[in-house]
Amino acid sequence: MKNHMNRRGFLATTGAAGALTFLGPKVLRAQDNGTLRFGLSTYPPSFDVWASNGTSAGTIKVLCHRGLLSYDKEGLIRSELAESWDVAEDGTWTFKLRDAKWHDGSPVTAEDVAWTVTEAQKPDSAAYLQASLATITSVETPDEKTVVMKTSEPQAVLPEWFANYNMSIMKKGSERDSLMGAGPFKLVSTDRGVSVTVEANPDYYKEGLPKVSTIEAIVYADENLRVAALEAGDVDIVEYVPWQAMEQVAENDALKLDTTFGPFMYLTFNASKPPFDNPLVRRAMGHAIKREDIAAAAFYERGAPLEHLPLPDASEFYNAEFANEWNYDPEKAKSLLAEAGYPDGFNCTMLSTAQYGMHQSTAEVCQAYLSMIGVNVTLDLPEWSTRVKKGNEGTYDIAVMGTAAANNDPDGLATVLDGSLSPSYARSYGMETPEISEAFAKGRASFDTEERKAIYKELERVAIETAPIMGLCWREQGYGMAANVSGFSNLPGQLTFHSGFTLEEAMIG
Amino acid sequence: MLRYIAFRSLVALFLVWIVVTVVFLLLHLIPGDPAELLLSQGNIPADPNAVLALREKMGLNAPLWQQYLDHIAGIFTGDLGASFRDGAPVIEQIGLRLPRTLEVIVSAALIASAIGVPLGTFAAIRADGRADAVISFFASAALSTPVFVVGSVVILIFAQELKWLPAGGFVPFSEDPVEHLKLLLLPAGTVALSLLAVITRMSRASVLEVLERDYVRTARAKGVSRARILRRHVVRNALIPVLTILGLELGTLIGGTVLVEFVFNWPGLSGYLVTAVDARDYPEVVGIVMTISVLFVLLNLVVDVVNAMLDPRISLVR
Repeated sequence: MKNHMNRRGFLATTGAAGALTFLGPKVLRAQDNGTLRFGLSTYPPSFDVWASNGTSAGTIKVLCHRGLLSYDKEGLIRSELAESWDVAEDGTWTFKLRDAKWHDGSPVTAEDVAWTVTEAQKPDSAAYLQASLATITSVETPDEKTVVMKTSEPQAVLPEWFANYNMSIMKKGSERDSLMGAGPFKLVSTDRGVSVTVEANPDYYKEGLPKVSTIEAIVYADENLRVAALEAGDVDIVEYVPWQAMEQVAENDALKLDTTFGPFMYLTFNASKPPFDNPLVRRAMGHAIKREDIAAAAFYERGAPLEHLPLPDASEFYNAEFANEWNYDPEKAKSLLAEAGYPDGFNCTMLSTAQYGMHQSTAEVCQAYLSMIGVNVTLDLPEWSTRVKKGNEGTYDIAVMGTAAANNDPDGLATVLDGSLSPSYARSYGMETPEISEAFAKGRASFDTEERKAIYKELERVAIETAPIMGLCWREQGYGMAANVSGFSNLPGQLTFHSGFTLEEAMIG
Repeated sequence: MLRYIAFRSLVALFLVWIVVTVVFLLLHLIPGDPAELLLSQGNIPADPNAVLALREKMGLNAPLWQQYLDHIAGIFTGDLGASFRDGAPVIEQIGLRLPRTLEVIVSAALIASAIGVPLGTFAAIRADGRADAVISFFASAALSTPVFVVGSVVILIFAQELKWLPAGGFVPFSEDPVEHLKLLLLPAGTVALSLLAVITRMSRASVLEVLERDYVRTARAKGVSRARILRRHVVRNALIPVLTILGLELGTLIGGTVLVEFVFNWPGLSGYLVTAVDARDYPEVVGIVMTISVLFVLLNLVVDVVNAMLDPRISLVR
């Protein structure tokens, strides 16, 4: 398969080669001084500050907003509106606020923080972190600059919540989709479906930042056009570089490619009915699929096999002994099926989507390999909206899914593993995971790294055994930019979608 | 004449009503729940209570017939509702985007007519000659090349390689007229290419047919100069079917520039329809489809009336 040139590969390479070198000299157009143009993959469906509304919305939100904390370029938590933060013996968190101003000139106070937490933790808030925030039992404001949070049980990962780009602090009484915040840029204008323009906030609390005076975020929904716009010099940075174009961006001297392995592809199962209510059958699926072919077909060799839980090998919580537990082994797959009572295989449906090539290609590769162990898969490839609905309702047998975890802490995997959360297309349907849910709770309550390592190791052991999801492959997530752009960087691993935090340091030339 | 127009307008209204009803029902038939979609962004589960509350807010919990009646009643009062996504009035969005789509189509029609009619006439005069063969070949090629292929190729040549023009996007004319026209050039040119093929072939066929007519032979026999015959007798008469076809093509284009708008990132109406369907934004989808169908039937009506005025042999009496 590696050296086998399929039609898509051929089209991609011939397109990329762009055999038009006979066309005259290239003239780079002069840059506007101080304006950075950022190519978005879609127009934000909403600017709702606490809801999860996708990468593009996240980027715009962190231009205008800031939370108590954020992440630095190494992916470590750093100070933002909170100057310092610490935790007491009993698990009480205390945040000390710095002197910061809202875009309207008024000071950021502890009361604003308390109001934000109270609003976002309401049961119907639809906030991304609502379930986590609901464990905060009280928010006290002893003075203007101090916030004290108590939780129902100790929460070691609480700082991760307040560093998330969906947990910015809002001025008390603000509309939730307002872009009036305390961030490095102020909103100038939005042209719905077209672009969002922001300008530097002179009152921003970091000395000398932001570096550029204006950022114009322009939507290029078509991925090929996004690359074309970058090559033509229409934009300085683009998000979501399509995999087939990564090579051509990397090889272009006028451009830079910045990628990280973070998001991953995996299978979810409908465990509410046979045959996938049987962990042996679920594990068999993992042993039947050769992951390298997914990396090749769906990600143009910019993927890496994932044969365990999506914990990267760079993480201190990585367990080397599980690294290849779900390895490609068709014989083992067949014997597991026989043991489960399906010696001749069975028929089932696989849900994916035709809207995104990577989802469809992943499903096609899985279908081919599963047929080799007697499992006849019928593909169901509706457009994304329908796929989401079917996933939430459990109208499928197996489904292909791709996502990034909430953060680089193993706790971030709860959104794809924890069966005690409400039904979601990101998780398997009807999957009872009592041991895993308990391990997540224990891991959140512990402040001792060694102890947490042991907890998550046990969690992974159970997951390998019961296969609540099945890892398929890591995928590279890339930003492309003009060679003269500096300061902006792709944050590591699962944090890739938080990269907008670094736009305050981005500069041209 | 007036009676004819009145009758045709009634038929048009009936057609638009059918379209709106079908679209409304189809939207509710296909799976995908707008509230759930809005709340399931970025791979997190939508909270069932939040979905219920939002459905209530959107008025989706009422029985379908009631939603339908409300919608139709709204249309009669000029209220097309508000977007599910951000509450923006649908009529405003249409007002903003329709002119942009029309701009591309009208520019394309002007370019295509300015080149296509002379080209087709030329091919007809040289019928079966080498020039005719070349022109006909290119017209067929242009007609059978999908617009997204043409679009991708011109972007590759003019934006990525030559860097003469931006790859795509939009700047309002009021903000930067020069940039606006630069951005308009590629999408309008791409639409013009397929239109050009149609107009060229139609002009050629039409001129050929007129050249055979008796009055042309008479004029020739009288010794009228060739150029004058063409100008006075041939082209004028040959233009009627060309105009008809142009009118019909324009109607199709109003809803058919989806791909062009997508490829060039031109924020018009038809491209916007795609994102509205994607988000199951019912009020927007119905509003946009209704606008397109109104324009379509209106254009057909105009074409028929103009034809009748140009050609006294066309009878409007039923």
